[in-house]
Amino acid sequence: MRMTHRRLERGIRYVVLAVVCAFILLPLMWAGVSSLKPLDEVYTFPPSFSLSDLQWTNYREAFTRLPVARFLGNSLFITGVSVIGAVLTSSMAGYVLARVRFRGRSLCFLLVVISMLIPAQVLLVPRFLLYDLLGWVNTYKPLIVPAWLGGGAFNIFLFRQFFRTIPPELEDAAILDGATMWQTYWHVMLPVARPAAVAATMLSFVYHWQDFLDPLIYLSDFMTFPISLGLRMYQSMAGTWANLLMATSLIALVPVVIVFFLCERHVMRGLGVVGNRLTEPA
Amino acid sequence: MAASLALSCSTWDQLSSRSDDRPLSPSHKFSWVGTDHYRKALAIDRSYPPGRNDPWYWYVLGGKPTEPRFYTSLYNSLFYSVFAVPLGLCMSLIVAMLLNRSFRGISVVRACIYLPHVLGGVATIVIWSWLFNPQFGWINEVIRSAYALLDPIVRLFRQDGTTDWPVPRWLYSPSGCKPAVIIMSAWMMGGSMLIFLAALRRISPQLYEAAQLDGAGAWRRLRYVTFPQITPALLFNLTFSSIFAMQSFNEAYLLQNRGQDDGLLFYMLYLYEAAFEPPYQLGYASALAWILFLVLFVLVGTLLWTSRRWVHYAVGE
Repeated sequence: MRMTHRRLERGIRYVVLAVVCAFILLPLMWAGVSSLKPLDEVYTFPPSFSLSDLQWTNYREAFTRLPVARFLGNSLFITGVSVIGAVLTSSMAGYVLARVRFRGRSLCFLLVVISMLIPAQVLLVPRFLLYDLLGWVNTYKPLIVPAWLGGGAFNIFLFRQFFRTIPPELEDAAILDGATMWQTYWHVMLPVARPAAVAATMLSFVYHWQDFLDPLIYLSDFMTFPISLGLRMYQSMAGTWANLLMATSLIALVPVVIVFFLCERHVMRGLGVVGNRLTEPA
Repeated sequence: MAASLALSCSTWDQLSSRSDDRPLSPSHKFSWVGTDHYRKALAIDRSYPPGRNDPWYWYVLGGKPTEPRFYTSLYNSLFYSVFAVPLGLCMSLIVAMLLNRSFRGISVVRACIYLPHVLGGVATIVIWSWLFNPQFGWINEVIRSAYALLDPIVRLFRQDGTTDWPVPRWLYSPSGCKPAVIIMSAWMMGGSMLIFLAALRRISPQLYEAAQLDGAGAWRRLRYVTFPQITPALLFNLTFSSIFAMQSFNEAYLLQNRGQDDGLLFYMLYLYEAAFEPPYQLGYASALAWILFLVLFVLVGTLLWTSRRWVHYAVGE
């Protein structure tokens, strides 16, 4: 009796999870199938999942219709520089907020938390005016410089929580050996905080890779477009080549998938910890 | 640092939201227009009684808005949030509860469910819009084959033998576009799933054992142990998903102009159009941003205020 109950429960669990996984993966598979079809087969009715032959040349063609390689390069540059800045500066801020005692530290931390709650869109127009005033419109600066100034409240929060879990003895030992605050941070704390750094890297990579609104506002020169804007162009002009559009979309997803699987383990753990911290009473 | 930047921007914003409209140019002269922009957005013409074909919320407002697209966009964003947030939270909670048990292949399944949350963005929206294509998309193909299965059964009960089933036009119709975007948002529920999962992991097994000793069945354990313990995570997810849903822009921007008649005019799209499309009403857009901020503030405030009644915090930890 008990055994069958268990087995039933497990069966239901597997079935539901299988359905959810299908819901998640089928769109991607459908995109993959469409991207490998010749053009006339994409537009046959009724649509089908079957492939007569794999047309890999679609992927080569996708690169030639628009400078997709250029867009990818632009995206990699913007994202790479921003991620380095975000991880560096947010870990510094997190370290200071976790360990260095100074007047108004808790106020500073409170402000960081509050700034997570302010919708980014409220700052849209004033930020635009500011960058316009600085003459930064149509350059990458509006996309990169903010990442070097703190790297986002969430990352700061992540690092602060992580640094607080590190036993202070580690730091005391370094200070006894005559290390300065900078040396302690760089040689002792940062290497220990690797899980948090990996999580922050992935999160900011994803954020900057996907960012659409900021490039849309600040960039107008076609050759400087990141892939998100490039895809948008493709979409508006490629209404008639759905197979190439799907191929380009999948290409745009590849770097994110790679980074995700490289960092997955740390992110799952890191976010879980932060999640629990955030939901606790203040 | 980030916080001070944010605060300085808000005061800057306060200034500009009262300035005059002007084209994008290096001349940064402000002229004070008081609350004109706010009045422009919110004004309602009470001399015009709403007719039969007007949206229902015009009755609530008591007249025709002088800036109808403002209310349309606010309504659209609220509609989207009211459906997308509970749907996403229910799905992610169920999935998290199923994943809160170790079994073979759990890490693969978990990664797979979290993946869309990471992928999100332009590429996935493009892929989904192709899935929702009324004629060549796969979703309508599934619907059509379901119809084909059901057809003979329904025919038994119908004298006239209708075969004309309605196939949704999804993103190409005013009524279908919002459900399509809501389904799309459910696909990206991984983030809240992870928060729920972390909360579930933290519930101590002793609580369940105690409940079982007291003779509580599976349902009662769920109701009186699991649910109270995850209310903090629920509050967190509810707050952040609502904020994100109210701010969603990419879907609306990428999928507009398909004959939806402003059906996808989300608030952020309206704000973007005001600010960055001619005649570049930056001041008006700032006023819109502040209205959104107030709406979100009230929303979050209400959530936090009522949370004292339903959120359970572990005592003595």
